[in-house]
Amino acid sequence: MTLFYLALGLVFGLALSRSGAADYNYIQAMFLFQSFQLYGIIGTAVVLTAPGLYLLKRYGRTVTGAPITIELKAMNRGTVVGGLLFGVGWSITGMCPGPILVNIGEGKVYALAALAGSLVGASLLGISYPRLSRPFGLPPVAASATRR
Amino acid sequence: MNLILTGAPPIHWAVGGAVIAAVTLALLYLANRRLGLSTGFEDVCSFVLDTPYFRRSAVMSGRGWRLPFLGGLLLAGFVSALLSGGWAPTWELGVFDEVVGWGPAGKVAWMFVGGLFIGFGTRLAGGCTSGHGIFGMSNLEVPSIISTVSFMAAGVVTTQLLYRVVFA
Repeated sequence: MTLFYLALGLVFGLALSRSGAADYNYIQAMFLFQSFQLYGIIGTAVVLTAPGLYLLKRYGRTVTGAPITIELKAMNRGTVVGGLLFGVGWSITGMCPGPILVNIGEGKVYALAALAGSLVGASLLGISYPRLSRPFGLPPVAASATRR
Repeated sequence: MNLILTGAPPIHWAVGGAVIAAVTLALLYLANRRLGLSTGFEDVCSFVLDTPYFRRSAVMSGRGWRLPFLGGLLLAGFVSALLSGGWAPTWELGVFDEVVGWGPAGKVAWMFVGGLFIGFGTRLAGGCTSGHGIFGMSNLEVPSIISTVSFMAAGVVTTQLLYRVVFA
């Protein structure tokens, strides 16, 4: 299965690399409303994934016959505040998490610094999670993986 | 507008979006996995940090698919560069070079700070462009719609400030 996931990532990454989703200029052009490209990519992805998800959930089974389970996201103050912080980072670097790795693969050296910052940032969140749970209304760690 | 990597125009946005949708649906139908990449930061952290947060089931049970998937993203960048005339390390940063013009040290600092926002923000929000923006919105999940509106709005405001005010 490891090779299967690697192959899926390869296909996904090629689409990111060649569509502009991993390109600094296209990210800035999206936020400056100068290019439709990224809105088109995300919009198409959602418009095609939504009916597929609906049908898959109605069918209810994976290819092996196992029941489909989808982990749902929690809703709390972090949903907004974390989103705002991430948006600032996406603008600064011109990369969201997936494209950071694509950019490193492409040979863009500075993307390594974006990855290092992201790992430190995620560590800081994880370490301060117990202190942030009350002000942000975050779910307790054990229950944070709710499955349906 | 040409891509920084290839110096050529990108593929059509509908093709890019269709491939993303196909991979998202394949991941769920074939492997029962919800697309979401920013948890991968925690997968990596979990090798070093062993607090309960990094040992929770959503991290530990997802490492087996997310880490090879992230490896595929890395490989994709490499293959994409090879197919466009050869892989070579580069500091090229498009419009940032034209408008801001900082050298490598400045870019490293800039990218590291941006990365801090990405790592902390995505994990506080519980997702990024993939988990909230693609999967969550497609699944009509309210938290994902709210988070996506939040990070899109913050991205617009930040870039507008940077390129129309600060560096203008």
